[in-house]
Amino acid sequence: MNCKDFESMIHEIVSRRAADKTKQLEALEHAGHCLWCALRLDEETKLTESLQGFARTLYVQRAPARVEEALVQAFRERTLGAAAPRFVLAAKRLWRRLSWGLVFAATVAAAWLVVLRTSSVHLRSSAPPRQVASNPPLASSEPSPAKQEQPFVPGQSERQVKAQSQGVQSQVAARSSDEPGAPPSRNRNPGASVLDHRQPDSGAQAASQGRAERAALDESANEVTTDFIPLGTCDDSECMDEAMLVRVTLPADALLAFGLPMDNDYATEELVQADVALGSDGVPLAIRFVN
Amino acid sequence: MAGLTEIRDEQLLRMMQGGDEDAFTTLYRRRQGGIYRFVLEMSGSAPLAEDVTQEVFMALIRDSRGYDPSRGSLGAYLLGMARHHALRFLKRDRTYVSILPTRDGSRDSGDFTPLSPENPHSEMSRRESIHLVQQAILSLPEHYREAVVLCDLNETSYEDAASVLGCSVGTVRSRLHRGRALLIQKLRGGEKVEAGNKAIDPSRCLA
Repeated sequence: MNCKDFESMIHEIVSRRAADKTKQLEALEHAGHCLWCALRLDEETKLTESLQGFARTLYVQRAPARVEEALVQAFRERTLGAAAPRFVLAAKRLWRRLSWGLVFAATVAAAWLVVLRTSSVHLRSSAPPRQVASNPPLASSEPSPAKQEQPFVPGQSERQVKAQSQGVQSQVAARSSDEPGAPPSRNRNPGASVLDHRQPDSGAQAASQGRAERAALDESANEVTTDFIPLGTCDDSECMDEAMLVRVTLPADALLAFGLPMDNDYATEELVQADVALGSDGVPLAIRFVN
Repeated sequence: MAGLTEIRDEQLLRMMQGGDEDAFTTLYRRRQGGIYRFVLEMSGSAPLAEDVTQEVFMALIRDSRGYDPSRGSLGAYLLGMARHHALRFLKRDRTYVSILPTRDGSRDSGDFTPLSPENPHSEMSRRESIHLVQQAILSLPEHYREAVVLCDLNETSYEDAASVLGCSVGTVRSRLHRGRALLIQKLRGGEKVEAGNKAIDPSRCLA
């Protein structure tokens, strides 16, 4: 063994960790005749003794008892917290899922309500009354009774439909031919319905309108009418689809002009009521008399 | 609990994981001294050693699944955690407190026996020597200090020390050798290690 080998295992020698006893004896023998290695061994031995002395002074050192108490307490809490509430954890998980489901259902319901409301508003706003769209001449002709008389004149002279402008009190009771069940208010007063469409209903207007509708219904239930008598301007039934009725008042002898009998009780000054079916262009298509 | 003291650490850990409080207490009492002393010797601070000991076992309570038996013993695993915490605290504080009585007689920490009435001079000399050793150890660089504290003060095997320090056995031996050389130099007083090494240069002797 030389000094290098001795140096490499000096720590094992002084700490008695050397596994190979033969090498340990060789190292000690080398230190016996090598002054430098003997000094080195002496230094290392003293250092080891000092370190061991220092370690012995600390050997009794322990963590205070309060540390153990705190740790045992923490261990108990941890153990109880981990073992007990498995079902609590499961319940929490279930509740979390349920709450998510409830939130989802509420969102879907709210979206559905919004869609329904939007679609109803859209339908109400995008579906204007057909009569209003098809009756601009009537609405514009309403203010002047003389103008109401005009549609009967062209092409009707041979039928001698004469409306006396003085006696004619046009009761505009338009009634759509393809909407017999529609509210009478629209049929009776298209102009008003135009206004109703353009302006929001007030409470008073709605009440008066309701009364007028009920009166019109009662009145129409008591009426007796003749069949429609075509005026020759409509050869097919399609033109009658968009026709609207206008209630007019005519002299009683107009009955004779259409080949209907006239009671002698009727004086020539008497007036009779008739419904005139007007086309979309304002041309009278047919007429019927109302009793 | 008397029977538990003969059970190995790994078995105690498994029992502890099953909620056995006695197993935890046994494991704590078995390992807390080494951890406390390791931190005390590394830092010289008893409060820090107390804090680190508590932290190590709290971490074991919180998550004991982190221990891998294939990587070393449970004692080495706990010492490794203690080292990690201690280094973190030391880097944060960078202040070492002496655990030995100071020159003015006050003590920072530790429980020291009174001077022996038979030979007070010898006892005082011994304490002086211990104080010097303590100061020399605390003045070592951390990686040398770790090796000296583990292998020389706590008599940890090279293999366990390598596991604690996360390095090879050869590195542990090298650090220990270098650390001891530095200690000798410091205890000799002011002499440079290089000069000391030259004085005992192995190449001088080929016999």
